[in-house]
Amino acid sequence: MTSVAVALDLLREAAARRWFLALGLALTSLLLLLVTSLRLEVVDGALAATRLFGQPLYHNIQAADVALRPVFRVASQIVFWGGLGFGVLSCADFAPALLSPGRIEHLLSLPVRRWELLAGTFLGVLALALGGAIYASAGLVLVLGAKTGVWTAWPVISAVLAAVAFGSVYAGMLAVTVWVRSAALSAAAGASLIVLGLLATHRIPILDLMGQGVGRALFAGVTAVVPPLGKLADAAGALASSGPLAPGGLLRLLAGTIAFAGALLAVAVWRFDRRDF
Amino acid sequence: MPAAFAVASLHKRFRTRFGRTESVALDGVDLEVPRGEAFGLIGPNGAGKTTFIKCLLGISHPDSGRVELLGGRPEDPRSRARVGYLPERLTLPGAWTPRAFLASVTRLKRLRPQRSTLDALLERVGLSDAAERRIRGFSKGMRQRLGLAAALVGAPELLVLDEPTDGVDPLGRVEIRQLLAAELSRGATLFINSHLLSETERICTRIGILSRGRLVRSGPLDVLTAVQQRWRVRFADGQPAPEALIALGFEPGEGGVWEIAAPDAPALNHALDGARAAGGLLVELERASRDLEDVLTEALAAGAA
Repeated sequence: MTSVAVALDLLREAAARRWFLALGLALTSLLLLLVTSLRLEVVDGALAATRLFGQPLYHNIQAADVALRPVFRVASQIVFWGGLGFGVLSCADFAPALLSPGRIEHLLSLPVRRWELLAGTFLGVLALALGGAIYASAGLVLVLGAKTGVWTAWPVISAVLAAVAFGSVYAGMLAVTVWVRSAALSAAAGASLIVLGLLATHRIPILDLMGQGVGRALFAGVTAVVPPLGKLADAAGALASSGPLAPGGLLRLLAGTIAFAGALLAVAVWRFDRRDF
Repeated sequence: MPAAFAVASLHKRFRTRFGRTESVALDGVDLEVPRGEAFGLIGPNGAGKTTFIKCLLGISHPDSGRVELLGGRPEDPRSRARVGYLPERLTLPGAWTPRAFLASVTRLKRLRPQRSTLDALLERVGLSDAAERRIRGFSKGMRQRLGLAAALVGAPELLVLDEPTDGVDPLGRVEIRQLLAAELSRGATLFINSHLLSETERICTRIGILSRGRLVRSGPLDVLTAVQQRWRVRFADGQPAPEALIALGFEPGEGGVWEIAAPDAPALNHALDGARAAGGLLVELERASRDLEDVLTEALAAGAA
């Protein structure tokens, strides 16, 4: 319960930050823009015409649910990669602020276990990521659903995947901060994990290109444990557009990503428990 | 009386990243503070006072030694739940109101925040009028008051205050002293770390002097400041003649005060009887004492020797 209290405090803190106010405003404005400017004419379940700001966009007549699939796929990619980038930048300061002199001493003097502080920070950031991703995707589903009559929960479920992916990146950022209290370093760690996650997605073809040696072994080792974010993004896109998914593939991906985040959090807690402030 | 806290053979060294010892912060400190006392820890900058507090509360890990906090271990949240702590430089969330901050501290203390309780706390520290304002607009003194209110959440048994009156105006200091006196009469134990000796002297009944990580003096304030076997005496103007007093062993002091060394009560009364027989009218008698600054200076000099 204490971790939940810490997480709620982080959300209160986030509510006062310009980053998140700007994100909320941007998402809401975008959704309102779609509500007011997008015209979708559906006849007998088929999308007959699409107009944005009065200009025709799409001429082919096809089933509305089929026509919306690429829209949801693109939206899911924006939520996934945009969310990762935004999250790394906007959340890099939370843990360093928690560990700032004068604050951490006070928190540690309260009846809070050290792991609860880290877990609460992680939960709070995860809740932020989840909230943002779900708000954007659910908003889009609502707007398009109201205009076409096509209702689907898959884009929202795909947004949850984006939040899980960000959770693994943020666990790395948190672990780095416990060693060195720096927002810049935390953001750099997050960016590095995203790049490594992309490399891990294509590790086999990259390994084929590399000659034998320490570099190859190192790359193979690192990319074996880092979650392949590209595969997660593909899976999110496939989910959002009701596309095919390899049976068990998504579960394995999710389990690996969660295990990676858990391992990084365990390292962070181990270090945090031994640190003096 | 059970101890509010007890530390034995407390050692703490700070090391560089490569394991080399950089400085010795605490060098075998032994200290026990009884419950219900107001204890002041004084000493020069870098003496180890803040490190001592951090080890006491489990914020830093001592290299060796034993720490007992309210009968438990500092790592145990149940022990810390009964402690209120004001750090030297408390960082507060600028975007929050003081009420929201106190509510957060209350929740983290595993208590249910109630508006009336939070408002009462704000009133106690003189921040009622600022309850709806954002903390980022607070002065240093207001932040200090809010920190004090946070330390008072849940009526703790032990209050650990690191420079509690830092940045507070003289009138505010009086209010804080009154508040701390009320906490003492409630039965709380006060542990104050302050560089303001006059403040410490006014609030605390026991003092410890820390120098270079070692506790060089510790004990009741009146004992530490008392000059053993010396008394200050004042007689009515002009009586008796100075020669008569000097003959009886009195030494002239400042402002018409006389001092006399007397090993015990009979010796003191013998001298006073002599002065009265010589025509002296006694109007004032007190044990000669020094202020805390003298005690600190002497202790530091002895510690350096």
